[in-house]
Amino acid sequence: MTRQVIHIPTLNDRPDDFAWLFQIWKEANDNFEDIRFDFSHCNFLRPNAVAFLGGLARLIESRSGSCEFDWPTLRRGAVLTNLCQNGFAGIFGYPSPSWHGNSIPYREDEKLDMNGIMDYLTFNWIGKGWVHVSERLRDAIAGRMWEIYSNAFEHSGSAIGVFSCGQHYWRHNTLILSVVDFGQGIPAIVRSFLSQHVEAELVSKLSGATCLKWAFESGNSTSVDGVARGLGLDLLKEFIRLNQGKLEVYSNNAYAIVDKDGDRYENRNLNFEGTAVHITLRCDERLYQFRDEDG
Amino acid sequence: MKLSVKNHIGPRCIIKEDGQKIYDAIHGALRQGESVNLDFEGVSQFASPFFNFAIGQLLKDIAESDLRTLLHLDHLNETGKLVVERVIENAARYHGDKDYRQIVDDILESQAKESV
Repeated sequence: MTRQVIHIPTLNDRPDDFAWLFQIWKEANDNFEDIRFDFSHCNFLRPNAVAFLGGLARLIESRSGSCEFDWPTLRRGAVLTNLCQNGFAGIFGYPSPSWHGNSIPYREDEKLDMNGIMDYLTFNWIGKGWVHVSERLRDAIAGRMWEIYSNAFEHSGSAIGVFSCGQHYWRHNTLILSVVDFGQGIPAIVRSFLSQHVEAELVSKLSGATCLKWAFESGNSTSVDGVARGLGLDLLKEFIRLNQGKLEVYSNNAYAIVDKDGDRYENRNLNFEGTAVHITLRCDERLYQFRDEDG
Repeated sequence: MKLSVKNHIGPRCIIKEDGQKIYDAIHGALRQGESVNLDFEGVSQFASPFFNFAIGQLLKDIAESDLRTLLHLDHLNETGKLVVERVIENAARYHGDKDYRQIVDDILESQAKESV
C-alpha cells in the first residue's frame, strides 16, 4: 500500500499560513486513505497548526484512513521540543511525555466535556501565570472563551469534535488560543438555517462573509428551540476589544477579524469545511483589571 | 422558594443543560406568582448558554417586570450579573416568528452596497 506524503511547511498564524493549512486539508481530503506527514521543510509550527494537524489526523482516521507523523523528518529540534511539551508528539506516537513550559497543551474533545474544557481554560491557559489576574477576572475570561466551544459543539456538527492548542510568547507578550472543528462551517450552517424559511435560490446568493457577519451579530442564532440565543460571540468580541487583542475566524471561504479597529468580514479564496478560531490576547497587566479592582 | 445553584448543579453555570435544570426547578413557582431566591454562593464561572436556558427562557410566559419582582439572584458576582442582564435584554426582544425573508432581503441589500 502506498502512502500519500504531505509536506508540512513552516506554519505561522498569518492568513497565508491558514491558507496553507486549508490546502493541506484539501490534499488529505482528496487522498484520505493513508497519509504520512513529512516535516523536513518545517522550521516552526504555531498552535493553530498544531490544533489543525491533530484534528486533520483524527478526520482521516474517522474515514478509515491511516495517518502517520514522520517524526524522524523533523530536523528542527525546537519544533520537536515544542510538540513534545504540548503533548502533541506523545499523542501521535513519539515516545515523550509532556511537561509544563510556555506551551498550552494540545487538547482533543470528541464530546463536550464542560469541566475538562473549563479547567483547561482556567488553569492551563489564562490562569497559568503568564499574566497576573485576580481569580474573579480569570474566571470571567474563561467563561467568555467557553462561548467558542459552545458554538462549535452546538452548531458545527463536527463528528470528530473540537481541537485546541495554545502558546504563550514571552517576546511578544501574547497569549494564543486556537480552536478548530471540522464541521460544516458557519456560512454553510447559516445558509442551511435560512433556507428553511426562505427560498434556497435566494439564500444561495448570500456570500460567506455576509453569513459570517450575520452570525456575529448580537441576538442572531441558528437554533430552533425557541430559546433566545446569539450572545456568545458578542460577549467574546467585547472582551477582545477591551483587551486590545485579536479574534480571527476562518470558516468555509469567509474570514472575520475583530480587533481594536473594529470588525471586518471578507470573502477569501479559501475553501475549508470547518471553522478555525484564533485568539491573540495581550498580556499587559494594565488590561487585566475590573474597574473596581485596585491597580 | 430558595434554591442553592451550587447544590443543584455545581460551581459552574456554563452549559444549557444545567440552565434547563434550574429553569425546571423554578418555573412553576414563578408562574404561580411565588418569590424565588436563586443563591449563587460558591458559583464563580458563568456563560450565556446557562442563563439563556435558566432565566432567558422564563420570559416566554412571564412578563419581564414580574420576573424582576419575583426572581432574586443572591450572591451573584459582577460577571454573572453582566451576563444575566444581557440575556434578559436579548430574550425580551426575541421573537420566535421572525420575518426571515425580510432579513435575507436586508442582508442582500447591504451585500450589494458593500460590493459597489
